[in-house]
Amino acid sequence: MANTILKRLWRPSQVLFLPSRTTTTKHYNPKYRTHRAKKYLKIDLPDMNEDESEFTQEKMRQKMKEKGILPPRPWMERPFYISATGGIFEAYVPPEGDGKASLVSPARAKQTVQLLEKKSKSMLAIRKVKTFDEDFDSKEFCIQAQNIYIKAHECLVSGDRRELRQYVTEKAYPEFRHNTRHKTIRWRFLESLEPPRVVHARCTDVVSKQNIFGQITVRFHSRQQLAVYDRFGRLLHGSEILAKDVLEYVVFEKHLSNMYGAWRVHDKIIPDWAPPKDPSRLTRLKPDPEPVPVVEEKKEQPAIADK
Amino acid sequence: MNRFLSNLFARRFQCNTKNNLHTSGQDFAWTKSILPKSFIQNNQKIYPPQEIGENPRPAFICHQKTNIKYSHEKLWYIACFVRGMTVDEAVKQLSFVNKKGASFVKETILEAQDLAVKQHNVEFKSNLWIAESFSGKGVHIKGIRRHARARLGEVRYQYSHYFVRLEEGKPPEDYFKRNPLTAKQQLENWLEGMRKRKIINSF
Repeated sequence: MANTILKRLWRPSQVLFLPSRTTTTKHYNPKYRTHRAKKYLKIDLPDMNEDESEFTQEKMRQKMKEKGILPPRPWMERPFYISATGGIFEAYVPPEGDGKASLVSPARAKQTVQLLEKKSKSMLAIRKVKTFDEDFDSKEFCIQAQNIYIKAHECLVSGDRRELRQYVTEKAYPEFRHNTRHKTIRWRFLESLEPPRVVHARCTDVVSKQNIFGQITVRFHSRQQLAVYDRFGRLLHGSEILAKDVLEYVVFEKHLSNMYGAWRVHDKIIPDWAPPKDPSRLTRLKPDPEPVPVVEEKKEQPAIADK
Repeated sequence: MNRFLSNLFARRFQCNTKNNLHTSGQDFAWTKSILPKSFIQNNQKIYPPQEIGENPRPAFICHQKTNIKYSHEKLWYIACFVRGMTVDEAVKQLSFVNKKGASFVKETILEAQDLAVKQHNVEFKSNLWIAESFSGKGVHIKGIRRHARARLGEVRYQYSHYFVRLEEGKPPEDYFKRNPLTAKQQLENWLEGMRKRKIINSF
């Protein structure tokens, strides 16, 4: 009530309501506006920045009908690769404190005894490998494995994707290349602290009995250098003047029944007791915490007796 | 599928589709995109690693907005306006520019800022300045306008592109070189030049 009275009493001056004219292209005579507009040939201008992902199905259908486009053929095929397995079977469990604790400690001695028991299965697997590859020798294999390991990393550093496929299985390939886009990697294998050795071997058949895959886990204890730079050459991770001791359990795989099969890096076993990763050198602004939605408690209104 | 469709939708400038009159070339899924790409390509460039103790190279990001329904000549004024400003300043200023193109430029800058933080290792989003900003000519569709005495006039429906490069750090003090050297600096420069000159046939 008071509002309306105020409105009536207080009237702003007329000047405020006059729009200031900024367009100077308007014709002074509005009489023949429609006639002037008709002089232009009407054409449909395309909206180039339409977001077609936001279209509803009907809208999309309508658009395609307008243009006379057939919908693209659905791609129903699902590619799969059968010359490499998708994981590790019966993964090796690294003994705790490997590479650190002395062999004399009681816990370590116990573990070695247990390992010896498990070894029989590995022996069987290696024998199986030998049926396919007569020249197989685990000592020679270790040297070969180290070469594969180094070559795979060198290919990754040089960005040679084609070459990398020879040293890495299809399962490990994306894991290898993960996060390496637009980055410069400097990696060096300095020396081997302990000679690499085979710690585990397994064989399985896939689909048919004759289709056999072999997996061998090799333990590497080496000294390496790693530095990762971002697109602008700024250091992201590691250092080029610092060498680190690296203990790794790398799984190599070979499609044994394939005549042209080769030993390739398949996976890496990361034990539970592995020390935590270094935090990233990159710092970021911490995003603000999301506001907690306040739940309004509805007060139950007492029923009014009148209504 | 999306790329295929966007190609088709963006590239079909069929005038008078009702009459089944095709005035542009056929478009297929394999037709090359006509969008500008060389400027964006700068985002792929990898610089060599820096030595220890060297000043970190400032990050930069190139971004573009394509096929804006606006004249590239009008857009150029706004593009020039924001050059050498910090991102925050540019966004603030642009929100008061009473032109259609200002909103496109502002949007692009904000998008670029977001990308810089997400993809290009920029820590603080305010620590960016506009190192490059310019407009480009997009597709121009020609239309017809009737004139007297059975004559025609040409109408151009213009589209334009906007390009921006944000760089990490503070903008240079004197981006437009408005402030020349002080009197003392000028004197020093002159003196140095005089001392450096070579007098021919002298000792």
